[in-house]
Amino acid sequence: MATKLEQESELQSAVKNDITIMIGGQGGDGTLTVVNLLGRVFRDLGLNIYDARNVLSRIRGGPADGVIRGSTRDIYCIGDSVDILVAFDEEAVQAGLLELSETPIIIFDSSKGQLSEKFKKPGFSVYQAPLGNMAASELRRNIFKNTIAFAILGRLIGLEDALLIKVLNSRYARRGKEALDSNLKALQMGFEFATKNIPGSRYSLAHGDNSQRILSTGNEAAAFGFLVSGGRFFIGYPITPATDIMEWLTPRLPKFGGVVKQAEDELAVINMGIGAAYAGARVMVATSGPGQSLMTEGVGHAGEAEVPIVVAQCQRVGPSTGEPTKNEQSDVNHVVYSSHGEFPRLVVAPGTADECFFMTSEAMNLAEKYQLPVFLLLDQALCQNSASIEPFDLSKIIIDRGKLVNEEQLGKLSAYKRYEFTEDGISFRSIPSQEGGESQVTGNEHNEFGSVSTDKTNRLRMMRKRMMKLELAKKDLPKGRTFGPKSAKIGIIGFGSTYGPIIEAMQQLAEKSIDVRFHQIRTIWPILEDDLQEFVDQLDYVFVVENNYQGQLATLIKNYINHPEKIQSITKFDGSSFKPKEVAGSILSSISSKAIA
Amino acid sequence: MTKTVPISTPIWCPGCGDFGVLASLKKALAELSIKPKDTVVVGGIGCSGSIHNNLECYGIHSLHGRLLPTATGVKLANPNLTVIAAGGDGDGYAIGAGHFIHAMKKNPSIVYIVMQNGTYGLTKGQPSPTAVPGYEGNVEPPFDAVMTALSIQNTTFIARGFTGNQAQLTGLLKKGIEHANALRGFAFVEILSPCVTYNDTYKEWREQAYNLDAESSYSSKSRVAAFSRCSELLAGGKIPTGLIFTGESKSLETNTLTSPAPMALQDLRLETNLPKYEELLKDFR
Repeated sequence: MATKLEQESELQSAVKNDITIMIGGQGGDGTLTVVNLLGRVFRDLGLNIYDARNVLSRIRGGPADGVIRGSTRDIYCIGDSVDILVAFDEEAVQAGLLELSETPIIIFDSSKGQLSEKFKKPGFSVYQAPLGNMAASELRRNIFKNTIAFAILGRLIGLEDALLIKVLNSRYARRGKEALDSNLKALQMGFEFATKNIPGSRYSLAHGDNSQRILSTGNEAAAFGFLVSGGRFFIGYPITPATDIMEWLTPRLPKFGGVVKQAEDELAVINMGIGAAYAGARVMVATSGPGQSLMTEGVGHAGEAEVPIVVAQCQRVGPSTGEPTKNEQSDVNHVVYSSHGEFPRLVVAPGTADECFFMTSEAMNLAEKYQLPVFLLLDQALCQNSASIEPFDLSKIIIDRGKLVNEEQLGKLSAYKRYEFTEDGISFRSIPSQEGGESQVTGNEHNEFGSVSTDKTNRLRMMRKRMMKLELAKKDLPKGRTFGPKSAKIGIIGFGSTYGPIIEAMQQLAEKSIDVRFHQIRTIWPILEDDLQEFVDQLDYVFVVENNYQGQLATLIKNYINHPEKIQSITKFDGSSFKPKEVAGSILSSISSKAIA
Repeated sequence: MTKTVPISTPIWCPGCGDFGVLASLKKALAELSIKPKDTVVVGGIGCSGSIHNNLECYGIHSLHGRLLPTATGVKLANPNLTVIAAGGDGDGYAIGAGHFIHAMKKNPSIVYIVMQNGTYGLTKGQPSPTAVPGYEGNVEPPFDAVMTALSIQNTTFIARGFTGNQAQLTGLLKKGIEHANALRGFAFVEILSPCVTYNDTYKEWREQAYNLDAESSYSSKSRVAAFSRCSELLAGGKIPTGLIFTGESKSLETNTLTSPAPMALQDLRLETNLPKYEELLKDFR
C-alpha cells in the first residue's frame, strides 16, 4: 500500500556532527513524541541536545512543531537551519520552509495526497509515504504515524535499528505493554517501508562524549534550584511560560515539607508570598509580564517593608496578552522600574539552564541577605527550551539567610528594632514565634521600631538605609561573563537566551577573521557599571543584542557608561529567537558600512 | 526582657467604634492566654487597618485589600501562630473582594475581623460597599458579607458583632480565635463599628441589631436555617448579630501541609536533604 518514494537529489552520505530536525503537524499529531525519541537517540550517541517547541496558545489543534538539534559541541540554541523536516501535512512544510537549509530532506505524510510541486525546490530531497493511512489500516490509530516516521528518519540518518528499538522501549517502558507493542509494530512498518523504498542512508551521525549530561529547561532548573536552596513555599497563578515551574514543584515540594499553592490571582500570589516570607519561609513566586503587572504594587511593598522574596519573571511577547507562547525580552524596563515610589530591588538574569539553577539559588540568598525583592529575569526560550548541561553540582549550593536572628540573640538585646539603622543598612530580622522579636512590619514609612512615621529626618535616614542596599549588594551580584579574544575591537552585550545564538555568531564571524568579544550581562539591576565600562573601553563598537523593539537594555546601559556613542542596538521582536547568522549578519553589515572590518 | 514594639496611640476619633473592637480583641487574647510572640495581626488599609499598631505582638501592615492573602501566607508558613487579619469593609468587600471570596473557599485557619462602618472614613466619607442608598450620593444597595459568606459552601465560622455590645463581641472573638487555633478553618467576624465623624450609625444600629444568640430556637449549625433567618431579618430592616453559623470543613493547613514542623522553622540545610535532592537529579536524565 506504500507509494513509491520520490527522491529528487543525488544520494550522498556524509558524517554530520551537527544536525537539526524539525517535526511539524497539527497539535495532537504526536510531533513532540518524535522530538523526545530523537533526544534519547542523541543522548545515546553522546551528542549535546537543544530542543524547542513551537506551539500555539490552545489546547489542541493548530500547527505545532518541535525542533531538535544534536551536536558534538556545546549548543544553546537551534542553529541557523533545519536539515530534516518531518511533515504530517502541507501546512507544516509551509511553516518550516523559511527554516530549511539549502539541501534539506523532507519526509512527508502523503495520506491526503502528494506534496505540491511548489514545495519541491532545487536541492530538496522529498520522501513521501502515507504514514497516517499506514498506521490507521494496520494499527487502527492514526497517531502511530509518528513512530513510522521515526523509523524512516532513523534509516535516513544512518541509525542502527537496534538503537531505535532501545529508545522506544525506554520511552514506553512505563506506559503499558499495549502501547509499547503497538509502537514497536509501527517501528517495524517503518523499517520495512524504508527497506523497500530507500536505497541507503543519507547521513551518518557523529558520536560525542556527552552521555553523562542531563537535559533541562530553564524553568525546571530554576524550580530545582529553588528547592535545593531551602525554598519551601511556592505560590503561582497559571501563566505561560512560567507555569512549568509550578508544575515541576507541585509533586515534589510537599515531599520536603513544602507547599505549592495556586492562588486566585497574581495580587494574591505576591501578597501570600510576602506573608509567608515575613513568617520565615523561603519564598519564590513565578509569573510572566501580565502577572508582574498585577504584582507590581506588592513588589514595592516588599521593598518598603524589607521582606525578602524572589519573583521569577518569565518574559513573553507583550504588551497586554501579546503572544503567550512566543519569545521576547521586552520586560527589562518593567522589572527595573515598575511600581510607584523608590525602593531597592535586584534583577539577575541567567543565560543557560545551568545558570537558571545556580542563579535561582543566588537570588534566594540575595533576597534574604539584603531583605528585598529580587527578580529572576528569564525569557520564553530560556524557560521552555531544553539544553544538555553538566549535572547540577549540588555541592556548590550555599544557603545564606542573612541577618535572620534567633531567640538567643534577641534575648541579649536591650531593645529589638526591626528597622534599626546599621552600618550596612541591613537590620536584624525576627520571625513570629520568637520571644522578644515582636515588631511592626509595614509599607507605611516607619521608624526603627516599625511605627508609622512622617518625621522628615527619619524619612531621609530610612530612604538612605534602604536605597544604600543597591550599592552594597553590588559586591555579591552575579558578574557578567566575557568571551572572545581581548584583541577584538567589536563587542556584543546580551542577556538571557541570546547567549546561545551570540556564542555561535562569534564563531561564524571568527571564520571570517572578525574577532568579537561578548559580555553576557547577568545582573540587570543595579547596573554593574565598572564591569561594563571596562568591557566597553576595550572596544570601538558594541552591539547590544536583545529581543525587543526599543533596545531597552541598550538604553539602560547608555545611561551608566562613558562613551555611550559606542553602543548600537540589534533587536528582534517577531516572537522568535535570534539565529546565529542573524546576529553575525547584522554585525557584518554594520561594520562593512563603517569599513572597520 | 527585650524591649520590642512600642504601642502607638490609636489614630481614631473620640467615640470611634474601632476602640471597642480593640478593647474586645485585647480582652479575648488575654482571656485565652495567647502569647504576644505567637500572635500575628495583619492590618489592612484605612482607619481600622491601623489596629495592629495598637497591640503588643507581631504586626504586619499589608497593602490595601491584600490582608487576606498576606495572612494566609503567614498561617501556611507557621500554622502554630494565632493569625488575625483586621481591616475595614472597603478593604475587604471592595478592593479586596476577590480575596474575601477565595479566602472563604480556601479556608485557612485565621480570624478575619471586618470593621464595617459604611464609609471610607480616612479619605473623609465616600460611600463604601456597605453604604446604604442615599449616603453621600450612593445609589447602590449595601453589600451583605454575612449572606455572601453563608452562600459559600465550605465556610466554617460566621459571626457578626456590634461595638455597642462589648460582652457579645468579646465572646464572638474568643470563639473565632479558638476555632482558628484548633485549625478548624476561617473565622469570619464582621463587626458593626460606626464612624462617628462621617457616618454615625450608633443610633440606627442599636435599633437594627438583632441578637440571634438570644433567640433560643435559632441554631447556628444549620446553613439553611441561618440563610433563611438572616434573609428574613434583613427584609424586616434588622441586622442579624451573634454566632450566625458554624460548620465543619477541612481547613487549608489540614489539606495542604505535609510536615509537622512549620515551614518557617524547618531544617533547610543542604546536607540534611542531600540524598533526597540527589534522587531528584534523576528526573533530569
